[in-house]
Amino acid sequence: MENPIVGARRADWRSYAVALVITTAIFATALYASNYFNERRIAEIRTTQDNISIDILSLETQFDLLAEHSCRDISENSVLSKEIRPLAERLSYLETQRSVDESELLRLKRYYSLLQIKDLLLMKKVATKCSLKPVFILYFYSNEGDCKDCENQGYALTALSEKYPQLRIYSFDYNLDISALQTLLSINDVENKLPALSINDKMYYGFRNIQDIEKVLPQLATLDKAASSTRKSAR
Amino acid sequence: MPEIGISGDIIYTLLFISLYFEVFLLISFLERRAERFRPQGGGNGAGALPRVAIVIPCFNEERTLASTIESVLALRYPRELLEAIVVDDGSTDGTLKVAKQYEGREDVRIFHKENGGKHTALNLALAETTADLIGCLDADSTVGPDALMRIVPVFDNKDVSAVTPGIHVKNPKTMLQHVQDAEYNLSVFNRFMLAALGSAFITPGPFSIFRTQTVRDLGGWRHGHSTEDMEMALRMQAGGHLIANAPSATVHTSTPRTLPELFRQRVRWTYGFLRNALDYRFMLGNRAYGNLGLMILPLALVSVGAGIYFFIHVLWYWLERLYDLILRIQITGAFPHPSLDLFYINTSALWFLVYIAIALILVLICTGSWIGTGKRMPPVGTPLFILFYSFLTPLWLGTAVFRALFKTGVEWR
Repeated sequence: MENPIVGARRADWRSYAVALVITTAIFATALYASNYFNERRIAEIRTTQDNISIDILSLETQFDLLAEHSCRDISENSVLSKEIRPLAERLSYLETQRSVDESELLRLKRYYSLLQIKDLLLMKKVATKCSLKPVFILYFYSNEGDCKDCENQGYALTALSEKYPQLRIYSFDYNLDISALQTLLSINDVENKLPALSINDKMYYGFRNIQDIEKVLPQLATLDKAASSTRKSAR
Repeated sequence: MPEIGISGDIIYTLLFISLYFEVFLLISFLERRAERFRPQGGGNGAGALPRVAIVIPCFNEERTLASTIESVLALRYPRELLEAIVVDDGSTDGTLKVAKQYEGREDVRIFHKENGGKHTALNLALAETTADLIGCLDADSTVGPDALMRIVPVFDNKDVSAVTPGIHVKNPKTMLQHVQDAEYNLSVFNRFMLAALGSAFITPGPFSIFRTQTVRDLGGWRHGHSTEDMEMALRMQAGGHLIANAPSATVHTSTPRTLPELFRQRVRWTYGFLRNALDYRFMLGNRAYGNLGLMILPLALVSVGAGIYFFIHVLWYWLERLYDLILRIQITGAFPHPSLDLFYINTSALWFLVYIAIALILVLICTGSWIGTGKRMPPVGTPLFILFYSFLTPLWLGTAVFRALFKTGVEWR
């Protein structure tokens, strides 16, 4: 236990200064640590994107080399379906983090959008050659505060993709400055009335819940059945 | 937590100030530890012992008064130099009857008066006593047998006008009392450090001892917005008197058992602090008052605002999250699965800083425990204190600020 204590009335300027230095050092360390972990996250996303890019390139090459022989492999090998959702979610999460480098994040988003477009084109190509009927949804959103239903639309689409794992949902930030995306917007005649969905080459504006989408996309039932029959045959 | 925009900047600023204060206290403590073998200003007890009067002001304290008086009578101090002055401040229960059981003893004097508030009871005793030192012991507290002998030698330093003890929770039973036990350990540290910095601004009701002449010179106790102990300390500081702390002089005090009781007590304390700080605002930022004016009082005021701001911010955040969750369940028809992906562990600087601030509070509580009792382990209520207390505090901070703004006054009970 301590002895009694009393101090004379004075200003401890030295202690003020030392405390300021230490507190600043603590803050700097916390910011550095946070930045370090965010960099690691970005590196992780970058690696995932690079892997997806390689996968797409590989599939394209495989497709070109083997033509119809590769149809079965390709149809069963959904490049983005496994990784696209977590990647999108991870990017959305990083957008909420204060200390993430915005330009780096933007670069990742642009890269991600390009990968999606490439995958979309490849899948369309595969679908034509292999007589497949993949189900696509293109989702256009904005996170600049001008689309109050975009978050809800995101929830609905996430739930839909969980319900139908084979459904391919491609989500694009409407405001992303990337020429390939602008071309995609132009081809689909997407107006700035977000959220917007392109389903079977038809545009839908405003929030659509799961039932609305199921109604305009009857192929979903086929996907579901296909999944069930696969499970049955596997037993 | 959300941390973008102006509110994020305010949060970071407040967090910086909170951390700065904790670091400042720890540095000051470590500096003192480095100087531990130098004379500390406490006396050696070699001089003749002074006469001491312990005043027990009481209002409806029939349940606890006897144990309070007994603890005073059990103090290890020459009987002829110690008197207990029980002042019944117009109790309506059996308090006076309990007090009268001690009538006839030479070392106990009993007074009864109309209810006028604690400060009037103390002033009555001040007028009646001829003792050199006068102390107050709230009738809900008991004092350790060695407490007085640990305090009195400090007055060998002629500059010291008051000495505060180390206050602990008396027999904590309810969860809330255990939480307060941790809080009181933190207060032991704070009181110790404020004394070391010459910045004590409270001389708590349980067993603070004063030079009788100093209190008389200052004009006795005042109402002090129902916190006469704070007002007296600030008046002493304004008059250039030193207030020391003897943490090993242990006092145990009854603490509120329920949340409404705690709420009432803390509203009174915070209200008193705010109003007294307003009365003594000339000290704020004033170099003449050293650390008290430059650091302690301004930061104590900031801490009130910070507590309320943090609370509103966190509450708003969780309400938004709840709204989003309900909306999401409505849209998807299912409860979202929590992600176990390490990617989503929050590693924002804000959280790191919150963890560091919590760790520092834990260090301060342990230090308080060690200073006060010699135990290095924190009390059992510490985790609950750290987890929940910051959510409770803003309730009375907000109420007290509201009352202070509209000068509504507060009740003792």
